[in-house]
Parts: sequence; C-alpha cells; structure tokens
Amino acid sequence: MTVATTKTITAYAVYLPAFALAVNDFGADVRDGSARARSVASHDEDAVTLGVEAGRRLDGALQDVPALLLATSEPPYLDKSSATTVHAALGLPENATAVDLHGLRAGAGALRTAFGMGGLAVLADQRTAPPGAAGELSQGDAAAAFAMSGDSSAPVRLRATASSTVELLDRWRAPGAPHPTVWDERFTANILAESALSAASRALGEAGLERADRVVVACANPRAAAAIRAALGSDRADAELEAAIGHTGAAHLGVLLADAFDRSRPGETVLAVCAADGADAFVFETGEGVETANRGPKVREQLGGRTYLPYDRYLRMRGLFVVQGPNRPDPAPPAAPPMARRREWKMALVAARCAECDAVTAPPARACAGCGRLDTQRPESLRDRACTVVSVTEDLLAPGPDGPAVQAVVDVEGGGRRSVHVADPPAGGVKAGDELWPVLRRISSTQGIHNYFWKARPMGTVRHG
Amino acid sequence: MGKGLSNRVAIIAMGCTPFREHWDKSADDLLVDAVTECVAGAPKLALDDVEAFWVGTQGSGMSGQTLSKPLGLRGKPVTRVENYCATGSEAFRNAAYAVASGAYDVVMATGVEKLKDSSFSGLTATWPPSDGTDVEWTAPGGFSLLAPAYRERYGLTDREMRDALTHIAFKNHANGALNPKAQFRRAMSKEAIEKSPRIAGMLSVMDCSGVADGAAAAIIVRAEDAHLYTDRPVYLKGMGFVAGPGDGLSTDGYDFTTFPEVVQATAEAYAQADVTNPREQIDLAEVHDCFTPTELVLMEDLGFSERGRGWSDVLKGSFDRDGDVAVNPDGGLKSFGHPVGATGLRMFYECFLQLRGEAGERQVPGARLAVAQNLGGQPGSCVAFTAVVGNEAP
Repeated sequence: MTVATTKTITAYAVYLPAFALAVNDFGADVRDGSARARSVASHDEDAVTLGVEAGRRLDGALQDVPALLLATSEPPYLDKSSATTVHAALGLPENATAVDLHGLRAGAGALRTAFGMGGLAVLADQRTAPPGAAGELSQGDAAAAFAMSGDSSAPVRLRATASSTVELLDRWRAPGAPHPTVWDERFTANILAESALSAASRALGEAGLERADRVVVACANPRAAAAIRAALGSDRADAELEAAIGHTGAAHLGVLLADAFDRSRPGETVLAVCAADGADAFVFETGEGVETANRGPKVREQLGGRTYLPYDRYLRMRGLFVVQGPNRPDPAPPAAPPMARRREWKMALVAARCAECDAVTAPPARACAGCGRLDTQRPESLRDRACTVVSVTEDLLAPGPDGPAVQAVVDVEGGGRRSVHVADPPAGGVKAGDELWPVLRRISSTQGIHNYFWKARPMGTVRHG
Repeated sequence: MGKGLSNRVAIIAMGCTPFREHWDKSADDLLVDAVTECVAGAPKLALDDVEAFWVGTQGSGMSGQTLSKPLGLRGKPVTRVENYCATGSEAFRNAAYAVASGAYDVVMATGVEKLKDSSFSGLTATWPPSDGTDVEWTAPGGFSLLAPAYRERYGLTDREMRDALTHIAFKNHANGALNPKAQFRRAMSKEAIEKSPRIAGMLSVMDCSGVADGAAAAIIVRAEDAHLYTDRPVYLKGMGFVAGPGDGLSTDGYDFTTFPEVVQATAEAYAQADVTNPREQIDLAEVHDCFTPTELVLMEDLGFSERGRGWSDVLKGSFDRDGDVAVNPDGGLKSFGHPVGATGLRMFYECFLQLRGEAGERQVPGARLAVAQNLGGQPGSCVAFTAVVGNEAP
C-alpha cells in the first residue's frame, strides 16, 4: 500500500437519525421543530448501523478503499471489531483493513489515520446522559463518513494538521457503565482550551494562515467549546448546529466539518478542532466540486422532518424505562457458522437471481423460488433497492422498546420478496403499497450477540443520497 | 399426484381428550387418556392388537418413545412425526399408508401437545441455529397478513371485512358451546368478540384459536376389515398433502388471499373422492381456523365459495351448522382449542362422530361426506393436508 502524499477528501456524507428530543419533562409538549434539541437514534440503531447509513451514502466513492476506520465512544463490542461489520455492510473489498477506534478523540484519530492511508473514516456515535442530568439534551446521536484519497483534484484538500495531548480527567466511563461522569468543567475547560488553541495555532501556522474562513469546534465540554470558538473567531454556525443535535461524541467533529463543507464554496479554508484529551486541529482548503462532495443530503436539510419525541418514548427507546410486554421467549441469537456461510446475504443483502427464469430468490437458496431449478442462480444485491409493501401487520405479541413490532412482506423493485421488520414506523402506520428502503439495524441482542440485519424504513422518512 | 388410498382404509375407533388447560395432566397422561378412550371404542380389540403406532407432536416429545413409554408398549414400532400444525393429520396419513401397504392390519395414529407447561403467551418453537436473518413471525402476525390483502383484493370495506371475521368467531364459539370437550364452551356475542384486545393487525384475541393441551387417537384398518370391528366405520375417500417450497415469502407473486398448498392438496383429495361440487357434496368440514381470516380464505380454497365471495357466504350463514356446509361444527381450533400435534386428529374425531351420528346436539343431520383440512406454517410458506371421509362403504 502506498501512503498518500496529497491528502484529500473525495466525498463525505452525514446521517442524522429520524428522531429528536427537545424536552426532558414527562408532562411537556414535545416542542416539535425546536431549534434546541438532541438527535436521537432509534432503539435498533447503534454505532454500526449509524455508521453504515453514513458510509453507504458515499456509494461510488468506496471503490478500492484500502482501509476503513470506525470511530465511536459507544462500541457495540469490546473485543470483537465493529468496523468489520461496517466493512461487510458496505461491501468493501476483502483486502481492505477495518479498524476500530474508541473514545471521544477517536473521530479525530480516524480522520488523521484515514488521511495517512487514503481510506474511509466512519465516525458514528450514540451518547446518553442519565435521565434528568444537566447535559441530557446536549448530547446526540449521528454519523459522518469521509472518503480520503491522494487524488489532488478532489474537492477538499488537507493543508495541515497539528495535535496536542494532555492527560486529564475530564469525562470518563468504565466499560459497561451506562453514562459518562464529568469533572467540574470550570477546571477542565481551561486546560482543554489551552490545548486546542495550541494545536490550532500550529496547524494554521503550517498552512500559512492567520485565520480560516470557517471554524468548527467539537468539544464535549461546553465551557471549553465556547472559549475555543471565541478565541478562533468562529461565526458560531457550528454552535448553532450543535444546539440542534447535541454533542454527538466521536462523530461530532465529522458532523460539524461536513456542515462547514456544505456551506463552503471553492477556495475557502476551514479550521476544524476537536478538543478531547488534548486536541487535534485540521486545516482544509475547498476546491472545485465541493458543492457536490456531500453524496447524501446536506446536514441541515436532515434537521427538517425529524420526529420530536415525548420524553417517555425517548426513555423507552433508549432502554432507560422498560415496559412489561407479553411473556415471550428472547429471540435466539444468531450462530457463527451460518452467519459466516451467508455473510453476503446477512450483511450486504445479496440475494440470488435465476439465470433461467429471472426470478429473484431471497434469502438466496440453491433452488430457485420461481422455477424450482437447482443451482441456476447468480448473486443479486437488494441493498439499494426500494421495495413495496404487499401486506403488513403490527404485532402486539412481539413488542419492542418502541411499541409493537411492525412487520411486512415486501416486493423488491426489479424482483424479489422479503419479510421485513419495518424500522422507524410512522405514526400513521404502514399500509400495502407503501414504499420502503432497506436499512441495517439491530434485530435483537441476546446473550451479548448483536443480530444485525436489513430492516426497511418508509421512503418518506429516508433521506438517502 | 399420488395414486391415493380411496376406500382402502377405514377408521374404526377414535378417542380425544377434552382440549383444556390441563394443569394436572402431562403429555403422557393425555396420550394415555386418548388411547384408552380410543381402544374402548373397539371392544373386539385390545391395545396389544395394534401392530404399529404413529405419534404426532410438534414439541411435546422426541421420538416414538413419546408414545411407547407412557403406554408401556413392548416390541412395537412407533414413529414420531412432525409437520407444523398439520402434525396430527400427518400421523394419520402415514398410519393409513402403513395399513394400505399390507404391512399391518391394525394401526393407531395419535397426536398430542402439552402447551400449557410453558408460561409464554401464544405458540413458541425452537429452531435450529441460524444466521438470524429470518423475520420471526408470531402465528397471529403471520396470519394477520391475510386480512388486509383479502380486503384490498376484493374491495371490501373495513366493516365488511370485520363483519365476516366476527361471524366466523361467533359461529365457532356457538358450535363449541355445544361441545363438552371444547376448550371454550361459551357462546360469544359479536360485540364481545369485537371488543377483545388487539393482537396483530386486524386480529384481536377473539380472532385467534385457543392455546390448549390435548391428545387424540384413531385406530385404522383396511376398509375390507372394518366391519370386523364396528358397524359404523368411517372410510377414507381421498387425501392430499403438500409441503410448499415457501415461495410465497421468498419471491414475488403470492398475494396473501389464498393458500396455494391447500388448493393443491384439496384438488388431490377431491379427485380421489370424486368430489366435483364440494359445496353440494360435502356435508361438514373441519377446517384449520387458527385465525378467523384463515377460515375465510379456506372457504374459497376448499371450493365452498367462489373467489372473492367467501366473505359474503360467511355472512349469509352458508357455513353455519345449519348452512350449506357445516364448517367447524365442533367449534374448530377457535373454540375447541389447538394443541398443535393433536389438532389434525381432533378434526378426524369430529368427522368420525358426525358420520356415525354421534355428535349429539351439534349433529349435522344425514351427514355422509366430511372434509378434514389441516395446515401448518404461515401464508406464503405452509404445509397443507386435506382429507375427505365418508360413511358409505365402498
């Protein structure tokens, strides 16, 4: 593998989940459309599924990617890699490496590493504060993905980076703990701000700039963030976005940066600073094509159309408030050998099309479901195909954290049929004829095994690229 | 299509436990009770005269020892079969073939399920380890897909669809109220049926069959030997069985308004039994009303109604006990209950009683020809059994 000398971003995308929370009071109105809210992932989303949604929006920019880095502070597994799950769902080449980075600084680390390798950085996070905590509404869930290359004609060029590292007990969470704990921010803010300004100053110096056209600051410590923004001359557009989604953990730098690119024209400079356990600073220059470098919807476009949750529904979706349902057995966890044998189907929704009768069989099988012939099939991906509801039900005997399971039989555009769990079902329900779009979600988690597979989500609520 | 066993085998005795929450009985007890009643119905036979046995159970036992142990059978072959909710009829089918082959003169088919030792709601099953990609449909979830599809295809209003489903539940409860062995022996008002808590889609609790414990048994002999044991044997006139490839859920085309597997199995059974006009020829039918829309769709799949007319025939009372075809005169799965492995044989049990004129208050006058229709799986991917039985000697 050759290390890229020119460091550029060829494409980027952000995924904001469908929900938002603007109140943490049981009796309060949801404050639909409030500018101050936190972004909320559904009960079946996690860093993997959020990351896949951002990553798949990059679409064509993913070919020949040598490395995937997944950054999160909420890894679904500790020992097992989650980057490999994202790798599989994105259908990346087998010879690409996939590496997990954990912690609030991991997003900056993934960007730096991906620039070095010409790889794909996926920053995805879910942040949860204890119910009633001061910061409950100021954290959020999101994902951003960036495809790096050495292509000098790419729309964004990295001009400089600089870091500073400081050992500091600012916010921490032991493995298994549900929420972070925070030291007195009046103490930690000063140290983080010093670190950030030091790194930013060195990066700007290396880029030969006194200041950048746009400044974004990602820091979970709000007091520090405000100080750094003020010192670096931020126009507070980043703070405005942060108010609408919350601090999105390891994804935050990426989300704010993507938003800055969204608003940039060719020939502008962007200073991005992530202050966590020290700081990392990046100076970018935008070029031709920056307006189309975002392969998905613009970040701010994704703020519209979010469903604002009442507080109790948020708590249920988050598993912070468990409601008794019917007495049913836990879903069986998937087993390793069948998962490995059917990896393409499970992770990338690759079914089979019959070379004789053209029928699509899903799940793939040796017998064609159309004509019954054996071994006449070739792979057919259903991952990026809309599907239409044939029949649908809401099953109160199979409740999830967010109410009854909605399950449908759907016909896939171009052929094929699947039984699907409906993700993010709208308040008005789903009916025959509705269009759905495949999304990777956690089907269940039993015995510590997360069962990922492709659900389908109403098209009206999908903001795919 | 198989060559069939038309008029080659006969049922000479049957037993069936009440279908209940039998807190005080095990699967073993239920089998002993059903077999004891069955053998008592053939006074010229002792249990030891039965040469081979079949036991159907979906999950209440493994192997032929499910039956040989509780009965203390020594030196007898016992085959355990399983075919989803069509397990009971599968035991009957294989036992019938064994007699017809000439390998045995007297065989017994049994079925049992002990569901109430689990505290789970509804039916559960244990599946082999998997890749975790199959949607785990609950039974009401899977079958509830029929209702909106049927309503949509035939342009029914919500009210018309609801009325048809309600009438099916109402009728089967009214029938079950006359049956001392039924799980639910109380007629239900249409208002109460519609007020019951929702379970899945359009289906409420009162659209669903009862989860029960129970067992049933039948002694089967060659048709020409039947009069050695009873004056009123019931003859197998035709029988079809289809295990579908599951294509309704794995490729496009299937529309959830029919069970193609039932249509195929029924065509085979009717052909063997020379049934060409089922609505005229069939006096009563025990059908697999696991959920009310299932019975509605089956009225069309069994040829009792034209396509798209099942709902209005239901509402006209065509399938009431005094209608053109008495459907589920014993209460059906809905009211008699549904201990999975026993249900298929329970259907034969009611046909047996009716064709012998022993059904008491719910007797269908002059019944000559009956259908037992049993299915398992779910719409789009099921196994289906249909038999025609009659009381007229070949």
